Amino acid sequence: MGTTVSIELADERPDLIDAVCAWLHEVDGRFSTYKADSEVSRFGRGELRLEDSSADLRHVLEACADLWRATDGYFDAYAAGSLDPSGYVKGWSVEVASHRLAAAGSHDHYINAGGDIRMRGYHPEGGPWRVGIRHPWEADKVSWVLALTDGAVATSGTYERGDHVINPRTGQAAKGLRSVTVVGPDLSIADAYATAALAMGEAGIAWLAKRAADGYDSAVVTDDGRAFSSANLPAAV
Amino acid sequence: MRRSTAAAVGTLTGAALIIGVRLSVTPPEAPVAQAPVSNLENSTSAPSKKPAAKPTTKPAGDGGAAKEEEKEEAKAPEKPKSGLKDGVFKGNAAANPYGKIQVTIKVEGGEITAAEATYPTANDSGTINPPAIDALKQSTLQAQKAADVQAVSGATYTSESYVKSLQAALDAAKA
Repeated sequence: MGTTVSIELADERPDLIDAVCAWLHEVDGRFSTYKADSEVSRFGRGELRLEDSSADLRHVLEACADLWRATDGYFDAYAAGSLDPSGYVKGWSVEVASHRLAAAGSHDHYINAGGDIRMRGYHPEGGPWRVGIRHPWEADKVSWVLALTDGAVATSGTYERGDHVINPRTGQAAKGLRSVTVVGPDLSIADAYATAALAMGEAGIAWLAKRAADGYDSAVVTDDGRAFSSANLPAAV
Repeated sequence: MRRSTAAAVGTLTGAALIIGVRLSVTPPEAPVAQAPVSNLENSTSAPSKKPAAKPTTKPAGDGGAAKEEEKEEAKAPEKPKSGLKDGVFKGNAAANPYGKIQVTIKVEGGEITAAEATYPTANDSGTINPPAIDALKQSTLQAQKAADVQAVSGATYTSESYVKSLQAALDAAKA
């Protein structure tokens, strides 16, 4: 997936980290579009039939189709032309990893996969996890600080890839928003919403506002530096 | 004409129910309780363009009904059979928690040919309308030092950008 994953367990269970890493490598082997022999690459080339694919791949394809509908087509696993479900897989794999950690007894942890974070419980010194949202122009600053005990934070932005986020409706680079952060219960959904809103451009602000009713709050910075956030964004005090 | 009266009242009741307000129209027997109005914006004091009490002209392009009306007019020329006078009538503005709603009906040949309602666009509705609730609020973009945070969320798509990221710094500080 080309990202680096940070895992912090507040519990004294370092033994669990190996299992998380093994799972993430398994996901990478199955879903990497950079690996010609990955399951997703073989499926994308038509060498693998849907009925012969793994349950994980079928789940991912179904979830991508659901999100395509839920985002009016702005979350599109085929935006680049060929199948690339990475935008869902990253959040989903971390979501699964966090569930497994909790099931194995780690109730206080976070996993940060390339800026997309799933956290549970409390940090080692007590209190909710405090998550900074990177400032879209000043890499060493944050523009919001959130406090969460159970939830996900996903950020998509144009500041890392330039204007290479594609609006699937037009095929052109998305314009208007520089950074979109979505906070909610499930990282795979939050990540897909952030990606979709970024692709929508400024219309994404109104679209995101409607997601708040389902528990997905957001914080947005436009290309010209205006900041927007939903009323229930869990800002740290 | 009884049936047509019933149908007209039915339409009226239906329209009133849909938007949930009580519509007050001129009672059949009352002469001119309400002035016919010409438009929704400034209507309350608009002068009547036609005398409402006694339609003397035949409604245009309404074959059967008009014929019957002609006959009826001959016997009782004082008022149309439905009890509704021709013209455009505006109901009383009805207040509800979302603002005021006002219904306007058009009567032609004694029958309601159109009914419409105004919707609240100002005042009370400003705080109720979905756009006001759903909008994200705008604020000044902050630029704080990342003190006292355990993790940083941001767009870091590649390992190279990660190396430069705040999260990497946090990880390094813990190592």
